[in-house]
Amino acid sequence: MASNHLVETENLSTNFYTFEGVVRALNNVALVVDQGETYGIVGESGCGKSVTVRSMMRIVQAPGRIDGGRIMMFLNAEDREKGIEILSRSEAYMASIRGKDVSMIFQEPGAALNPVLSIGEQIGESYQFHRMTEMLGETIAALEGKSGPWKAFARSLLRRELAIHRRNSDRIQTIDNELYKLESSTDAASTARKRALNHERDKPVGESRLVGFVRRLPFLRRYRRALDRTIGAHVIELLRELGIPNPENVARRYPHELSGGMQQRIVIAIALACHPTLLIADEPTSNLDVTIQAQIVDLIRELKKTSISSVVFITHDLGLVAEICDRVTVMYAGDVAETATVKELFRHPLHPYTQGLLDAVPKEIQEGELTIIPGAVPNLIRPPSGCRFHPRCKARMDICDKVKPATLEIEPGHTVACHLYTKDRSNER
Amino acid sequence: MILVLAGVSILVFSVMMILPPGQRLAAYVTSERVTPEQMNAMIAKYHLNDPAPIQYVRWLGNILTGQFGFSVTAKEPVIKAFDDYFPTTLELVLYSTPLIILVGVWLGTLGAVRKDSPADHFTRVFAIVGYSLPTFWLGLLLIMFFYGFVGIFPPGVLSNSIRNVVTSTGFHRYTHLVTIDAILNWRWDVFLDGLYHIFLPALNLVIINSAMIMRLMRSSMLESLGQDYMMTARAKGADAKTLYKRHARRNALLPVITVSGLTLAGLMGGMVITETIFNRTGIGWWMAEAATQLDVSAIMFNVLFLGVIYVVINLIVDIIYAYVDPRVRLS
Amino acid sequence: METTDNEPVARVEHPRWQELSFTAKRFFRNPLSTIGLAILAFFLVVAIFAPVICPPKNADPFKIPHTGWKIEPQPPSAQHLLGTTEQQYDLLYGLVWGTRGAFKIGLFVTIANLVIGILLGAIAGYFGGFIDELVMRVTDIFYAIPFLVMAMALVVAIGRGLTAVIVVLIILGWPSYTRVLRSDILVIRNREFIMAARASGSSHFAIILRHVLPNAMYSVLILASLNIGTTILTAAALSFLGLGSDTGTADWGQIVSTCRNWIVGAPGNRFEYWYTVFIPGFVITLFVLGWNLLGDAVRDVFDPKLRRK
Repeated sequence: MASNHLVETENLSTNFYTFEGVVRALNNVALVVDQGETYGIVGESGCGKSVTVRSMMRIVQAPGRIDGGRIMMFLNAEDREKGIEILSRSEAYMASIRGKDVSMIFQEPGAALNPVLSIGEQIGESYQFHRMTEMLGETIAALEGKSGPWKAFARSLLRRELAIHRRNSDRIQTIDNELYKLESSTDAASTARKRALNHERDKPVGESRLVGFVRRLPFLRRYRRALDRTIGAHVIELLRELGIPNPENVARRYPHELSGGMQQRIVIAIALACHPTLLIADEPTSNLDVTIQAQIVDLIRELKKTSISSVVFITHDLGLVAEICDRVTVMYAGDVAETATVKELFRHPLHPYTQGLLDAVPKEIQEGELTIIPGAVPNLIRPPSGCRFHPRCKARMDICDKVKPATLEIEPGHTVACHLYTKDRSNER
Repeated sequence: MILVLAGVSILVFSVMMILPPGQRLAAYVTSERVTPEQMNAMIAKYHLNDPAPIQYVRWLGNILTGQFGFSVTAKEPVIKAFDDYFPTTLELVLYSTPLIILVGVWLGTLGAVRKDSPADHFTRVFAIVGYSLPTFWLGLLLIMFFYGFVGIFPPGVLSNSIRNVVTSTGFHRYTHLVTIDAILNWRWDVFLDGLYHIFLPALNLVIINSAMIMRLMRSSMLESLGQDYMMTARAKGADAKTLYKRHARRNALLPVITVSGLTLAGLMGGMVITETIFNRTGIGWWMAEAATQLDVSAIMFNVLFLGVIYVVINLIVDIIYAYVDPRVRLS
Repeated sequence: METTDNEPVARVEHPRWQELSFTAKRFFRNPLSTIGLAILAFFLVVAIFAPVICPPKNADPFKIPHTGWKIEPQPPSAQHLLGTTEQQYDLLYGLVWGTRGAFKIGLFVTIANLVIGILLGAIAGYFGGFIDELVMRVTDIFYAIPFLVMAMALVVAIGRGLTAVIVVLIILGWPSYTRVLRSDILVIRNREFIMAARASGSSHFAIILRHVLPNAMYSVLILASLNIGTTILTAAALSFLGLGSDTGTADWGQIVSTCRNWIVGAPGNRFEYWYTVFIPGFVITLFVLGWNLLGDAVRDVFDPKLRRK
């Protein structure tokens, strides 16, 4: 297999156990995102785009559950061949890669930001979760030159915190290293060892009792102010890099005081604070004006050149896909319909659904009326049998409502799941 | 705000006007011995047969200059009766309210965070039963069990021996709150005795009132947990503790602040039953007596007083709310 | 704000009927609501069949018969199934006939409060401006008044008894309904379909009745169902303080008040008179619990936010 992969999902199934029934949101979804590419996922509302990426980060909301499949992430810089199987890792491990290696930005930035915390606090959290050792080190260094009993007190407390952080990081690193070594072993001993390690990993981080005590006292708590200032400086720097004017002022503000475009930039800032390898953008521009949309898209493009490796861009807007994506997957009702490079998809759409989507978009040279895809998105509690698109498909055959079509590679890099191609081409994948 | 207080005064006054002049005389009397001839003379003197608005203005003038009249039930001027009774109520309120809020918030958060677990079911059952209990019944049961059966936590404010200590000259009553005064006088026996008598009524109040706060906190927390910003926090890599404490709970506490204020205000006025059952001579107990005997001046004074408390508490709640929720602050 | 609506393609059943069955299903999903309904059904049966269960012995059926004038309460026996209170009033009789009073108070007060609250709230919310200000100021004033103290004073001023209690609770209880309804109406008033109705020439009254109220009713109904229990507790408290019916009347609060002297028995048998303390209060608690469970169930079913999971 090509060693350029960043994320790979195989047979991913996610279901939502609601009162009205089990919603089969994802039905054996397979995707591959490579390093350094912008990958698009398109489809109508409710087709499972968001659920797919949330499953990738394992932040699916209750009552949802990932019920099957594998998700491999290739985050190790030295060893690109070996992936980490995400579904078998502990929640604590996931928390450590969320925001650090993989980040996500959302559709409604206003709702995504906590209304009672300031912008600076919310961005600063990313630093607190993942770059704490660095921040503590900087703060202590900054306090070195200062004299006075209070500064000395603050320094000693911070040093204690740093020591504990370092100890914990080492502990976590050891566990993660061993887990990584055992990643591909499947014998009984290794599996048991992995389970034990995951359990270890989930244990909460210890805290010095003295530090914990002082933190709770209203007046002595001020010793952390130096730390807050350090983080604040980084936050302001980050905002400046993203082109946000007057960053000191913005950091003090609250989400409801900012415009939609500005809020989305803040969400992006939060996502980028720790230089993630993968950025997932879940319809980041659908709720914004077209002009703001263009700005955000430009911003993402810029960032891809400089700091991020890959971007997964979810949208229902084919025009955006054409503009910024390298490869794209078309999803329908929890199934992957078609995957190809953008050029290939627009030139030779193979799946009837893709063809329908493209037909519905007005083009430069337009003859006659726009065709629509008849019908509506199906209820996923009782999805259509066989190929889920068959009720609305104009090329429907007998087999389509009985057997789910396998995914076949028609051209290199161009796969489709449709019975139109199962009999003619026999390149089984 | 002043408008509301004025409205309260008008309302209370109109209620009292239902009564015949003889009963309304108490507002102007300073001792309890009056003959019928004196009464008639006084009715004429104080124009108690004048049109209502004129009487209202006169009464308002009296109130604003500090003349509150005489309380028939307390057998002393209203102001002095208030001075005697209020500290007892205040003490109980001061001990109960923080407990009510803390217990309610803690149980509510627990129920929301561990939704549908045994702990959740237990706290919900506790809350709904607590909400259905009559205050007077629970009080009687508590007395029956703790005092009757076990023999601890007697009703009343202080035991007799301690009362002698408190009223002696060596004991300085700075605040008239028994437990606080005990600390200030460095008398631990008085302190413990006071607590000993406060425990049961406080328990009664906590069980009944925390139920409502618990239910509110639980639903508020559940709503908070379902918001989008929780997903963002998770996507940032937040650990469970931060998620609950910093993100969910802070938002969930907002409606609880308002309700806590209302509970506090309601508690002051609703002490009637608790004080009657536990024999605590506070303003609630006083009001029970006053209402049964239509002690006009006492009732009017207390209604006004509690109205003022309500308005003040609302103001404080508004300020706190603005401090906590940035969306509410004026620029 | 965008909303994506995925309408299912065809409705097989009539929409109203489907809503009703959906509501009923949701209602009974929670075992607690079934328990609540069962409790209330039980009490309803008792109230209706009171004359059969405990045939009245006096002209006024609400006067509890008493055998003799002995002060000390008697434990449950063949003659008095639940025992007697002070002065030999039969507990069973008092509790059974008291059910009628409890229902009366709960329903009368709440329905009256609902009506007043809806009227005032609708007028305030819909017409806004000066009327709204006026109604809201009056509501604020009522909120500021201490409920229990004022209730006590009013009951005594009017003249004690069950009717007085009902009247006073109605007078003091409507403000919360007004506020809730008004805030809902403020939200609905600005929705497009109201403007559409105005544009097509409907009168204000028709609009309120046919468009505004059906959508605004939910919160107020939930409030009502949750408040019935509190109303009954308050009425019982007033009776307990002696402001309701006279001694010897079948009134739950009144019955509890008679047990105050018998909380603690003789040394050695502390719980001697447990029945006179425990049983009446338990009955009150059970009744209110039933209403509270019902209220919770109504809220779970009708709260628009929770309706579609």
